[in-house]
Amino acid sequence: MSHPPDRPEILDSDHLSARTREILTARLSVSATQPQTLSFQAYAVLDALLPVLLPLDEILPASTDIAMTARIDAALSGPRDGWRFADLPPDAEAWESALLTLDDVAADQHGLRFIHLTPDLRGALLDAVMDGQIGLDRAGRLTASQMKRWSGDLRGEIVDCIMSDPRIQQALGISSSLTGGDTVFQGFTNVGPDSREDFEPKATAPLLQMADSSE
Amino acid sequence: MSSSTLMKTFAETDIADVVIIGSGAGGAPLAAELARNGKSVVVLEAGPAFSAMSHTPDEVAARELYWLHERLSAGTNPQAFGGNNSGTGLGGSLLHYGAFMPRMDARDFHLHTETGKGVDWPFGLDELLPYIERVESFIGVSGPAHYPWDPDRRYAYPPPPANSAALKMREACDALGLRHADGPAALITRDIEQPHFGTRHACANCGACHQGCRNGAKSGTVNTWLPMAVAYGAELRPGCFAHTIERDSSGRVSGVVYRQDGLEHRQKCTILVLAAGAVETPRLLLTNGLANSSGQVGQNYMTHVSTQVWGEFDEDIRPNRGYPSLTITEDMMRPKDADFVGGYLVQSLGMMPATWGQNLARGTTTRGPAFARALAGYNRSAGMGINGECLPRPENRVTLSNEKDAFGIPKPLIEHSYGPNEWAMHHHAARLLTQMWEAVGAKDIRVIDRAAHMIGTCRMGTDAGSNVVNPVGRSFDIDNLWISDHSIFPSAAAANPALAIMALSLRTADAMLKT
Repeated sequence: MSHPPDRPEILDSDHLSARTREILTARLSVSATQPQTLSFQAYAVLDALLPVLLPLDEILPASTDIAMTARIDAALSGPRDGWRFADLPPDAEAWESALLTLDDVAADQHGLRFIHLTPDLRGALLDAVMDGQIGLDRAGRLTASQMKRWSGDLRGEIVDCIMSDPRIQQALGISSSLTGGDTVFQGFTNVGPDSREDFEPKATAPLLQMADSSE
Repeated sequence: MSSSTLMKTFAETDIADVVIIGSGAGGAPLAAELARNGKSVVVLEAGPAFSAMSHTPDEVAARELYWLHERLSAGTNPQAFGGNNSGTGLGGSLLHYGAFMPRMDARDFHLHTETGKGVDWPFGLDELLPYIERVESFIGVSGPAHYPWDPDRRYAYPPPPANSAALKMREACDALGLRHADGPAALITRDIEQPHFGTRHACANCGACHQGCRNGAKSGTVNTWLPMAVAYGAELRPGCFAHTIERDSSGRVSGVVYRQDGLEHRQKCTILVLAAGAVETPRLLLTNGLANSSGQVGQNYMTHVSTQVWGEFDEDIRPNRGYPSLTITEDMMRPKDADFVGGYLVQSLGMMPATWGQNLARGTTTRGPAFARALAGYNRSAGMGINGECLPRPENRVTLSNEKDAFGIPKPLIEHSYGPNEWAMHHHAARLLTQMWEAVGAKDIRVIDRAAHMIGTCRMGTDAGSNVVNPVGRSFDIDNLWISDHSIFPSAAAANPALAIMALSLRTADAMLKT
């Protein structure tokens, strides 16, 4: 198999509980209609930033869109993780301000909105954010130290979105959702190195193909 | 909870002998012990009653087990809350804890006497040991036949199978000449009938301990102490957020006001026990302005230095499989080359993918294809982590912020900064664990600087001027107010706190029954 099918095989495993199947399946059908949390401007910045921060072209086929921007935007209005940095405003406000800060800095430095920058320039701005070099000291925007803090939240949110996606789990050969079904709770029999069980997915991601074929 | 048990209920007009706020490691053993001795007990739990089989390994959905009322994190090492921290729901944090169950080292009770730093506990291991053994015996703890650092110790269940990370850590210890063993884990490895609960199945090695155990193998309060409490007539009330402590004209506690389904309720009581943890317990006292003549409520917030070191291997590791943290070494409890006081435990680490990815994401600034490749290395990754002493420091504390939550109560502000001792321990561990992974051929070795657990804020001691509660957990200021959780720990010690919390809870129950 050279790429994962539209519906990842792990979703049909009897090692998956009905509840977990429902949770994972719901993630397949999120589509971008319009922003639920962010403004159109901030949403567009996030959409332009994600492929530069974490490109998925070596993991998923080009035809697969996991709607990361829409899912992160929706997650910002949902239940959060129970804490935030005291020096940042509440999450939804922090994200809106951070993304608009990036857009303003892009305009100041390059005379273009963030979405019109080349990927290299977008990447350089992101690196500067993570280094604590970029920020704006005015209302509705974040300072450089706040931007640096927020960049950790940004990275964490992306990883939650990616690693909990059944298409990514299938592509990376991750069996963490397959802890056991409802009538039989199978768990794992093999837990040591190089002992994949038959029901566990093999990696299909292009960047892991070489490693997997040597298994 | 056993479905055949009919739970006794109390009217709000009844005066319960004891109301306990919190149903986790601090509240549940006490509830069971008091009920067994004939006391009328009501347990108020802010979260819901979960069904074990409904737990899901999906890490985003499993956040339902975490305390999600927002906390504000500050200081130079602002602590991440949420995951693997405070819990919610009947069972408290033990719903999602990792079940790693080492005993406190005898030396950690007397750190100040030993080193001149930190704080002594008002008693030693000999005082707590009988309670520790009772806890281990009742809830079920697995461990090795021979424990190298304590040859007399026995465990009732053999250890679960060693997963990839545990096997790799054994090799790494051997390479450096460190002793290692299967660590004590609060799970059962054969089916049993748990008194007052029913069948608990042997661990299935599913690896999702932190997302909630689905077959009852992990020893929490929900399959041990809480059903026992109910069997002896205690009432568990989930979905009840306690916020106001009422007092009579003499200043003694007379009852608790809590919100359930959007409505305010009041439960009168003769004794109130706070078992809400190192943030919510002091928050309750601070918002109500109680029990703080010492000025110590909220002070000396502590964590554990919990540095992790991860590496990638040539083999297919699959870190989600098997009990996550089986191998232990206690050889670093007082390392000879230490430039710090106290010590740390080292454990192997498997991990679920989003949690692992969060650590990678927050601990590095990789971007672009390199970030994608790092995440794609999940199935080849194994980790080791430490739990180490964190000294009490005046700048680390829980206070009330200026922001209100949905109930109109100030959100807690938690300030947490490492001092020189914590940094020295972190660097020592980072060096050692890196060396260990290098010795067994790990590549792309990555050090994650992090703190875990929450300890302190309502210190226990003999002097009323500098402690919130006496050595059995009773408030110095209000004689019918007690605290039973990790907020009373005078020092952090190195061991994961759950076992000591439960042992102290039984000890506090004994003291209450004698008064």
